[in-house]
Amino acid sequence: MRRPSARPRRLTVVLAQWCPHCVPLSVRKGRQLSKRLGVPFRTLDIDRRGQEKVADRLVRVHGDASPDYLIPQVFLEWSDGRVQHLLTGFSEQVARTARAWDDLFESDWLRSVREKGSP
Amino acid sequence: MRRRGTLPSALRAALESPGGQCYRHCDRPVRTRRFSRVLPGTWHVRACPSGVVSVTAYIEWTRRDPTRAVRNALRRWTVPRTLVRSWDLRIATRHGPELGRAAERELAALRPPRGVRVVYWRLYPFRARDETERRLFVCFRRTHPSPVFFASSPTATTWGCPACSRRRPSSLGRKLRGASVRARRLRDRKIPSR
Repeated sequence: MRRPSARPRRLTVVLAQWCPHCVPLSVRKGRQLSKRLGVPFRTLDIDRRGQEKVADRLVRVHGDASPDYLIPQVFLEWSDGRVQHLLTGFSEQVARTARAWDDLFESDWLRSVREKGSP
Repeated sequence: MRRRGTLPSALRAALESPGGQCYRHCDRPVRTRRFSRVLPGTWHVRACPSGVVSVTAYIEWTRRDPTRAVRNALRRWTVPRTLVRSWDLRIATRHGPELGRAAERELAALRPPRGVRVVYWRLYPFRARDETERRLFVCFRRTHPSPVFFASSPTATTWGCPACSRRRPSSLGRKLRGASVRARRLRDRKIPSR
């Protein structure tokens, strides 16, 4: 059950540098979203050993886990400790993932989070 | 009343593929073939007119992870079944806000609340033992009870569907049986004339 007092705390994008759905698209959109939410932004690169383990755990526990999981995956951490999976890239053209980001920006969910905190 | 796993209309529209072209094969437009079989959700097979598959997606409105059931269904439809490997199946959850406002509202209003799970099967081109390139093809001939996925060379001149070629001996057999029946009838007719 979500507590109304919870606030967004950090936005994370799990990505790889070679993925066109991730770089530059999801880095740019992730930064924009974190600005709108007023939270810090971080990326976790699955090809960097130190970040890979954190990314794998985040995906395994809160995201869309598969043996060779999809990227990008976007997570929002809340002040009450919850981690919310927001978006997984589309296994189609980059334009489809871009549209998903745009829809997220226009969503009732984002408006509600910005107005009231937890939706 | 909605069939278990089937998607409401706004969600279905939001999950439609934007199209695109056959990647590194023929540059012709990719078409999506939709069907419901074996599982409660919907299958989308995106392939070019030559039958080269870009991606196969299984979409279900559910809380559970349908990956295992998808793998089993695909293995039943694929020759050889070892082409369907676990690491080529990838799940994605669509929550609603990333699908557009209409789909978001429709999904938010539905009870019990569930997301949409999509399992993608993407088999990248690979080299066979003889070093020739192989790609994943699909055959949708009406005579097959289900789609048939198989690997073949994109430059092959013959349609390599194993289910179609399996049918050949039986149809040939029918023809031979027909020929022998005709021959017997002719022979029988000849006997009285002798």
